[in-house]
Amino acid sequence: MKRSLPRKASFLEVKMVFSGIPFLYFFMPIFFLLYYLCPKSGKNSLIVLFSFLFYGWQEGRFLLLMMGIIVIGYSFGIFLEKSQNIFLRKVLITAAVTLYLFILGYFKYSNFFWENLKNIFSLEGKIAAVVLPVGISFYIFQMMSYNIDVYRKNCRAQKNIITVAAYISMFPQLIAGPIVRYKDIEQQLISRKHSINQTYVGMRRFIMGISKKILLANQLGECCSMFSQRGESSVLFYWIYAVAFMLQIYYDFSAYSDMAIGLAKMMGFELMENFNYPYTSKSITEFWRRWHISLGTWFRDYLYIPLGGNRVSFIKWIRNIFVVWFCTGFWHGASWNFIFWGLYFALFLIMEKVLFSKNGKKERKKDMLSHVYVLFFVMISFILFDAQNLKAAADNIVGLVGIGCDLIVGKESLFYLRQYGMVFIFSLLGISSFGKNIVKKGIFLLTGKKQVIELEMAGMIGLLLISSAYLVDGSFNPFLYFRF
Amino acid sequence: MKERKKQGLAVILIFILLFSIPLLFLFTKKEEYSTSERRVLKELPKLSFTTIKKGEFGRDMEEYFLDHFPFREGFRTLKAAVSTGIFGTKTENGLYEKEGYLVKMEYPIHQEMIEYAVNKFENIYESFLKEKGSQCYFAIIPDKNYFLADKYNMLSIDYEEFYRFFQEEISWAEHIDLREVLTLEDYYKTDTHWRQERLEKVAFLLGEKMGADTKAVYKKKKIEMPFYGVYAGQWSLPVEGETMYYLTNSVIEDCKVTSIEGKKNREQKIYHEEKFTGKDPYDLFLSGPQAIQIIENSRATSKKELIVFRDSFASSLIPLFVKDYAKITLLDIRYVQSNILDHYVEFKGQDILFLYSSFILNQAKALR
Repeated sequence: MKRSLPRKASFLEVKMVFSGIPFLYFFMPIFFLLYYLCPKSGKNSLIVLFSFLFYGWQEGRFLLLMMGIIVIGYSFGIFLEKSQNIFLRKVLITAAVTLYLFILGYFKYSNFFWENLKNIFSLEGKIAAVVLPVGISFYIFQMMSYNIDVYRKNCRAQKNIITVAAYISMFPQLIAGPIVRYKDIEQQLISRKHSINQTYVGMRRFIMGISKKILLANQLGECCSMFSQRGESSVLFYWIYAVAFMLQIYYDFSAYSDMAIGLAKMMGFELMENFNYPYTSKSITEFWRRWHISLGTWFRDYLYIPLGGNRVSFIKWIRNIFVVWFCTGFWHGASWNFIFWGLYFALFLIMEKVLFSKNGKKERKKDMLSHVYVLFFVMISFILFDAQNLKAAADNIVGLVGIGCDLIVGKESLFYLRQYGMVFIFSLLGISSFGKNIVKKGIFLLTGKKQVIELEMAGMIGLLLISSAYLVDGSFNPFLYFRF
Repeated sequence: MKERKKQGLAVILIFILLFSIPLLFLFTKKEEYSTSERRVLKELPKLSFTTIKKGEFGRDMEEYFLDHFPFREGFRTLKAAVSTGIFGTKTENGLYEKEGYLVKMEYPIHQEMIEYAVNKFENIYESFLKEKGSQCYFAIIPDKNYFLADKYNMLSIDYEEFYRFFQEEISWAEHIDLREVLTLEDYYKTDTHWRQERLEKVAFLLGEKMGADTKAVYKKKKIEMPFYGVYAGQWSLPVEGETMYYLTNSVIEDCKVTSIEGKKNREQKIYHEEKFTGKDPYDLFLSGPQAIQIIENSRATSKKELIVFRDSFASSLIPLFVKDYAKITLLDIRYVQSNILDHYVEFKGQDILFLYSSFILNQAKALR
């Protein structure tokens, strides 16, 4: 009988997330009622108040930390703009970035560093485990980008601390992104329009997000949990797990982005898209243009390009790629498997650039093999991502080719394939625009119209009720990206 | 209607839905107990600086909201309908329905649990039974999954392996295989338990092996209200009620039943019809879960005594044993520490029966 360690997601506590009953039926309606009634001048204050409540609900002890970061970021912004001395500006931005990285390093990486130092130098003793505040990686990166943009004079420093607080703490994107740049929503923070259409589209996006999370991601997560408790070691089960986790992480994270973008739209903000059908990519390079776009562009603009990007010698370019992908991996979690996960992609990106590009500009030919190549190696990457340690990752990867397996197909794996078969089918339909187009064509054939609001409305209410029913019935509602 | 107006209507309707739930939540009476799930529902958590700081308040409030959500049962039914109807899941809350029976898909064998059970029984044997020369018997009651899993490609524990393990590890007892006489029809459709009116064959088999005469004439009494077992609530989808019967005669009715609770003794009866309308209708038999119960039969055909280490399945079977035993002691070590049993029971070479369902053995941490 095979027993793995519990999956990481199972350690997550229940929190007030968008896909939870307290948010959906208490926080959200009350907030929007007050928000739409509130005069324009008070809207940002209301956002800050409710965002603090939202954050405090789950991380009461870290609310002060977030407030402190807001004050620090606001102050650095003001000082950076006031200062005309180039040297002083450099000192200020270095101090700001160092401080942010120190805070992030302390809360996110101190346990990791201490464990590794202990192993390397055979040290003894313990340090008190540092608890990771929810969303710290997101809001620290946002604040860093704000200060850097003020330093680069890409935007003006915000004089009103409430506006800065609204930017950092805005609850839709506070704990799981997208990583919004201040300069992208600077104007919206000061003045934004609200319309019925915007509220409707935002609400539709939010409901699609919550449905993806609850009806697909959570069920795929259950399937992965069954794998970690398996009594059978078969090749089929390793494949079920690998595909299920690959789909789960996509639906989990993209659903959260959908909910964030939808809620922000209801508030009058246009946030950047974070996912664009990444599993339809034909290269790993393309995959990273479509997956967690806000993080990829953040590292591109604030690390890769300052390092010289690709306008440097080949060796330096290789260095730049490795630095960026080391940081990308490490950003995802304080563990070696995340670092290797990042470096794994660095290797593919270099390989694609060197082997498949003509003059470094064109990507690989478009064909079915390209899709298979991307899906397979991305799937392997997520096994590494999900594993408790490198050995567990290696076991789960070699299990795909039968190493360490007792069977090719077993009763248990077949059962779970049947149990989650429809979830897999629905999930696979949704990873490209294919599923969406089928629905659109179906509606057009039935009604002769491209959009039927009545049908959409019925669908939205239906999905909301079904999602609520799933929430009421069970508490299996982890969110993978909380670790970051 | 213009598109904009329709969109506005959609927004209003969804907000009405979002507001109606909290309003209903605020103004409806909060139940303390869920009959369908047979559990106490969460109370309103205490608001304090400490609970907020630790994040406990948020977590407890979420549980409170979930437990008292308006139309909770309706939502659970909707979820089950979507889960089985649209997603085609084979189990719902760990249960599946085949041939009209709701069955818990117990899987896999929890090796550490069954080893724990064996150690517990071994300690009891070594501490109280070995020196007294008691004749020990061991019987496992298979769950409904035993009868249906293979037929419908559902998962189940490896019953052969499970039975073999206990047979090999518990060598000091004579094993009686109840699978020889039990069929699926001997169980309630909506409950874990077996039907008492079909257990005479089980009592006969056990009695035959243990040298006890269990043959008797019983009156079959019907409970007029429908019986909904523990799975009916967990299943969430509508199920039909069942008919519950119990077997009785003048010997059973004359038995004296005493429940020992610490230093207090409480007089009981074999059957309590009024318990049928309580939290668990199966409590009709011997008043449900009890740590120590003594059944004394002054009209017994012998002076023999029996001690039964048991779970709730025994409550309905043991009344069929009273004929030949002057005294039967029932010990449920889920509710009393097994190492202090001699404080309450005098072990003096009585017949000993360990009678456990496969469920309890596979989740044996409940044994104390």
